[in-house]
Amino acid sequence: MAIPTNESVYSAMALLFILVTCVELCDAVAVVDVYRLIQYDIAGVPFGSRLASLNHHAGSSLFTPGADLSRTVVMIPVTELNITFIRALDQDFDACGNGIAEYIEQKQPLGGLIFLLPRMFSPENKDVKYGGDEDPGKELMKNILVELERFLLYANIPYPVYFAFEDDNINAVLADVKRNDVTGQPATATTGGYKLVVSAPEPRKLASPTITNIQGWLPGLKTDGDSTQLPTIAVVASYDTFGAAPALSVGSDSNGSGVVVLLEIARLFSLLYSNPKTRGRYNLLFGLTSGGPYNYNGTHKWLRSFDQRLRESIDYAICLNSVGSLDKDLWIHVSKPPENAYIKQIFEGFSNVAEELGLKVGLKHKKINISNPRVAWEHEQFSRLRVTAATLSELSVAPELLESTGGLFDNRHFVNEAAITRTVKLVAESLARHIYGHQGKNFKIFADDSSYAVNPSYITSWLDLLSRTPRVAPFLSKNDPIITALKKELAEHTVEVSLQNEMLDGMFTFYDSTRGRLNIYQSGQQLLCALYTVGAAGDEVNLLLIDNGVLAKRGKGVIVASVTFDLLLLLVLGSYLIILFSFLVITTRGLDDLISLFRRPHSRKVKST
Amino acid sequence: MTVFHFFNCAILTFGPHAVYYSATPLSEYDTLGTSVKAALVYLGTALVKLVCLATFLKVSENDSFDPYQELLKALIGFIDVAGLYFALTQLTHRNISQNHKFQAVGLGWAFADSVLHRLAPLWVGARGLEFTWDYILQGLEANANLVLSISLAALGSLMWLRKNKPKTLIPIIYACAGIVATMPSITSYLRRGLGWHFPEVVGFELFTSLVMAFTSWQLFAACQRPSS
Repeated sequence: MAIPTNESVYSAMALLFILVTCVELCDAVAVVDVYRLIQYDIAGVPFGSRLASLNHHAGSSLFTPGADLSRTVVMIPVTELNITFIRALDQDFDACGNGIAEYIEQKQPLGGLIFLLPRMFSPENKDVKYGGDEDPGKELMKNILVELERFLLYANIPYPVYFAFEDDNINAVLADVKRNDVTGQPATATTGGYKLVVSAPEPRKLASPTITNIQGWLPGLKTDGDSTQLPTIAVVASYDTFGAAPALSVGSDSNGSGVVVLLEIARLFSLLYSNPKTRGRYNLLFGLTSGGPYNYNGTHKWLRSFDQRLRESIDYAICLNSVGSLDKDLWIHVSKPPENAYIKQIFEGFSNVAEELGLKVGLKHKKINISNPRVAWEHEQFSRLRVTAATLSELSVAPELLESTGGLFDNRHFVNEAAITRTVKLVAESLARHIYGHQGKNFKIFADDSSYAVNPSYITSWLDLLSRTPRVAPFLSKNDPIITALKKELAEHTVEVSLQNEMLDGMFTFYDSTRGRLNIYQSGQQLLCALYTVGAAGDEVNLLLIDNGVLAKRGKGVIVASVTFDLLLLLVLGSYLIILFSFLVITTRGLDDLISLFRRPHSRKVKST
Repeated sequence: MTVFHFFNCAILTFGPHAVYYSATPLSEYDTLGTSVKAALVYLGTALVKLVCLATFLKVSENDSFDPYQELLKALIGFIDVAGLYFALTQLTHRNISQNHKFQAVGLGWAFADSVLHRLAPLWVGARGLEFTWDYILQGLEANANLVLSISLAALGSLMWLRKNKPKTLIPIIYACAGIVATMPSITSYLRRGLGWHFPEVVGFELFTSLVMAFTSWQLFAACQRPSS
């Protein structure tokens, strides 16, 4: 009897140890916001990450030789990638599979992937401002992200892929995981480590995504008896975005900058138009269109909804696209040949003003191929309907589908208010000269000290707002706060503001669950360590003291116990049942019975021999 | 965690029943049939109880302690006693002594209770990722419940089967039986009315079950003496 009792005392002590360590583990649990890689189909072909829920152990490297990663979530800081690492050269012999891209393309099994974005990309991080002259690291990071994003958007990945921002918690976890991986011990259920859990339901298809266009008018001054309709100038910018992580796709430059320029121009001209003396003989039409990344589907719908007379009254349309970078020249993209009189007029108007502002504006001509469904520039939607139009952009070549639409890197830190102010001046001044017939004259309406000066704080506040708001059209509801805000702002300056809701057509299908919360649990190993250390010290009094201190904290948090714990529990339960058995036998049948119970087989053996 | 932990909890919940059966003379006299019958009676009783609860009890919105409802619940709880009475007196058993009969009935009763109330939550919950002490505590509760069931069966057999018991002990027997039978209501009161946490409630249950077991053992022994 004495031996089992002793054993049970030790077991109870062990249980106490575990209790203590487990309680301390509660504090190590961290929760992090994560943003899922987009999941979408183009014409039924699946792209992006096809799963949302995650529940595996953490790992730090894809390329541990001989390791089975099918139940491991690999965490990769984007800062540790470089482009060659992403796209290892195929010819390179010893680079066998050391590119992430290859790893994914080869459809190697993997539990999940978490990309850690640098802290500066976090929406909460506002203190780092655009540094004018770039530090090279930022430019490199941008290139890496562009490359990574381009790859991820067109990959079909059968496991969950998430983006998260580096912070102290994550970095600590990552350092731990790396240390673990270096020792060559892969994290499994028995050795413990970190467990990463994102509980999310199966992603569902978004039923019929809608896109919302917003328009507003500044009517020009009609002289009495003038029956003909006034000509219209349209200023258009598409406001929605598309990126690898829809919940991070804020598109400060593409096309938040265009939206800000449009709003500021609307504000400036509303000042001019509010006074009958300075009211021009042109109607101004402002359009914030959606569906930009999808061949300007919203612009298409918007233009189709106009009646013929209105469309014909449009003198020309200026589309604004990605105008927020200081170090790039601006380009006017047109689809009619530069010799065309209207185009010439527009371009000359712009280049004159640009010269005065000390800017360079170039003209780029790209013919429209009607049979090609790809619409690379917003003005092409106008041109297809025979409306003269041009796009002002810092991009010199037409972007591919889903490119330059507000990806991962496109955030506040890569956009400069000064560049936007400059663009506002350029566009507003050119428009004003056209409207008031002052072409070719050096004449400044929007000079800095006049009452029509560009307002930098207005620009900054709108840029900040847009840089905080992901605007991927299928995930915006019809009366999303940002749409309401844009409408309200436009209504401040213009009249007849209206929303137009349309279905997004085309071959895109989107899936929900764009963000989640990552729970990081710490399992097993620490427990084992704690047990060993305490066991070695053998200081029971100390332990009891700890126990008293910690017991108060009990009951909160989540613990993942390890197999070690279960083994010990089994031991405790086993000894409990044995004691119970012995006790019952002794009380009901007597001690002799218990002894004979064990002796019987032995005595039988003796008999047989 | 998971399946291993589930097995641990299952061992804690159901192991004592098996150990009790095999360690005591119950196994020697082969009283399994009695236990199975008692378990079946328990199932029937549980069904009747369920119907009664559904008929007479309002579904309370909040988790507070409503004395009237609880009183009703306690009354319905006495259906258990009726079921136990039936199992002890009406079922025709093979010729086993009263000593073994009440134990077998209590064991079957407790086992059926454990299976009905604890197996499903265990299967669903203990295999989850999150570790909680709840299922281990629940297993301990099952142990307490086993002891209580056997005590109640012992007291029941004293009340209904034994004719020549000392007169002085009768009120004590009835009082003890009453206490044991209202145990579910008492724990419910502790949990909701006084806001005790689960570990405290389980501790209380374990303590009371031991006290009641000791008391009923002494009573049983006291009743045994004059007859023997």
